[in-house]
Amino acid sequence: MTALVLALVLPWAVGALLLLADGRRRRWGWTAVAAVAANLAALVVLAVKVLPDGHETVVTGGWEGGIGIVVRADALGVTFALLSSFVVLAALVHEVLDGVRSRTFPALVVLLCTGLTGLFLTGDVFNFYVFFELAMISAYVLTAYGDDRHQLGAALIFAVVNLVGSFLFLIAVAAMYHVTGTLSMEQVAERMAGVEPNAAILIAVTFFVAFGTKLGLFPFHFWLPAVYAGTRPAVAAILSGALANIGAYGLLRFGAGLLPEELELGSTVLIVIGSASVIYGALLAVSRRDPAEMLAYSSIGQAGYVLVALGLGGPVGLAAAVLYAILNALSKALLFLSGALRGALVAGAFAVGALSLAGMPPAAGFLGKLALFHTGVEEGSVALIVLLFCGGALAFVYAFQLYQHEFWRGSRVKAGTGLEEAAAASAKELAAGRELPIAGGAAGSDVAAEPAASPVAVRAVSVVLALIVLALGLWPEPLLSLSSDAAAVLHGGAR
Amino acid sequence: MTLVFALAAATIFGFGAYLVLTNDLVRVVAGMVLISQSAVLVVIASGLTRGAAPILPTGDERPSDALVQAMALTAIVIGLAVTALLLAIVARVRATLHSLEVRELARDEAEHTAEIEQSQEPQLEELDRDEAEDEQ
Repeated sequence: MTALVLALVLPWAVGALLLLADGRRRRWGWTAVAAVAANLAALVVLAVKVLPDGHETVVTGGWEGGIGIVVRADALGVTFALLSSFVVLAALVHEVLDGVRSRTFPALVVLLCTGLTGLFLTGDVFNFYVFFELAMISAYVLTAYGDDRHQLGAALIFAVVNLVGSFLFLIAVAAMYHVTGTLSMEQVAERMAGVEPNAAILIAVTFFVAFGTKLGLFPFHFWLPAVYAGTRPAVAAILSGALANIGAYGLLRFGAGLLPEELELGSTVLIVIGSASVIYGALLAVSRRDPAEMLAYSSIGQAGYVLVALGLGGPVGLAAAVLYAILNALSKALLFLSGALRGALVAGAFAVGALSLAGMPPAAGFLGKLALFHTGVEEGSVALIVLLFCGGALAFVYAFQLYQHEFWRGSRVKAGTGLEEAAAASAKELAAGRELPIAGGAAGSDVAAEPAASPVAVRAVSVVLALIVLALGLWPEPLLSLSSDAAAVLHGGAR
Repeated sequence: MTLVFALAAATIFGFGAYLVLTNDLVRVVAGMVLISQSAVLVVIASGLTRGAAPILPTGDERPSDALVQAMALTAIVIGLAVTALLLAIVARVRATLHSLEVRELARDEAEHTAEIEQSQEPQLEELDRDEAEDEQ
């Protein structure tokens, strides 16, 4: 209980206080890092308690459940909270080491982390909306962060489109309350079966549109590329690695947890929309040259995979959806963080991310693709396996097209014109997993001195993230059991 | 009564959606305000009972559902914060672009994208040439 309360209250208080301080100063940046790290530590303690199949509930103010606000940690929620908190921590450390450029940045990131933690750990449908807005409002401000004035336009579009999504979500919550007479997720799951089908389907569709907008699925994706293209790498990593989890978690929790019958009814629609996302995102990613835009389109495609797995359903499909969401968040965060850096080892870290995105062993992304293939074989669906194969092949093309543009041709405008083949090649050897001292790659980096190498500490964050992605790929057991535990919460009914 | 609420919410949502699609940024924000109000209206309408104000039930009459009132209040507060944020972004846009039109915003972004692509093209062509020479 202490861990649960601490995970929520501590970052919230620190975030609110940090708003008063000047975040550009190093010490406030590190305070924010400490708050997010404490949040992560509390979540780890909570995860140890809750996993594999327990749960922990706190009702605020000592009220009975149903009147007081219920905070409830189960395997699914804790998994997503851990993942998001970890990605936010990596991005925040990256930015603090690189130099924060605005007063409010650390405070907003901490508040965003609070919002995400609350959202994943709440047991109350309306509170989900409140935490959701807390995270989203921080994100709206964060997208405008940076030196580029063109970001303002993107931030405005992002805010308007996602706010419409939020209000649709609120309308769906109100409708759900009206038909079930309760806001608690447990009771809603019990009573939803008795609700008149017309109303239930309308509610399910509204939820789907709301979360589809967050996740950037194919017909609702239009806002996404413009937002990712101009943001700072750390913000892009947070958006795609932490905030996009809301969409995946929402679809899992509300779709598979609260509205399972409606999910089954709409499974064909989900699979079709998911497939369209996969193909559309991958094709557009291949055709783009701007790295951020390429990754943005790739996000649309990756969201499609989660939807396809959800549409197939069943224990295998749900576990695959959870696993895929986790791995995609990690590899996207790694790609965004390492893509903008220069110097030894960075290209290696990026290559690990690219391999993971394309689903190649030994990087962890392979597991996600494997789980999806497993689902496809289980369902006996040839079309799905063909789709997965095509999507994977296209992902491979764009991921390494990107690698080539970024690290072999030296064609980036911001980085000048230096060719860094030697640095990239020496770092790539390191990517094979051999542990060499950083100085080993440094010999290569003075071949072309123009794009100044990023500070060692900043690069270290990306390298650590890359090693984690590799380690998860080489020793997948914990991750696999985590995702199947999380999925068990859903198909065992949201108890 | 529910029908009246539904019609009112739908009408307000419709007007809001229309305003969001207009060219003027301030109207876009006004449209968002309307959409948020229609959501609040739906929340109020979703109450399970209707009756006297739920502040102090006297026993003669059934009080109306208090929970939706609390939810609506929260939604209104969030809506207010969001409106303030949107207006702040619009003010920043006006300060940098000296315009309040969505078209201007789009034009500016298109120009920016074109600039980036132009600055990349020569280098890429040069690199392509180099590569072709290397292959020979």
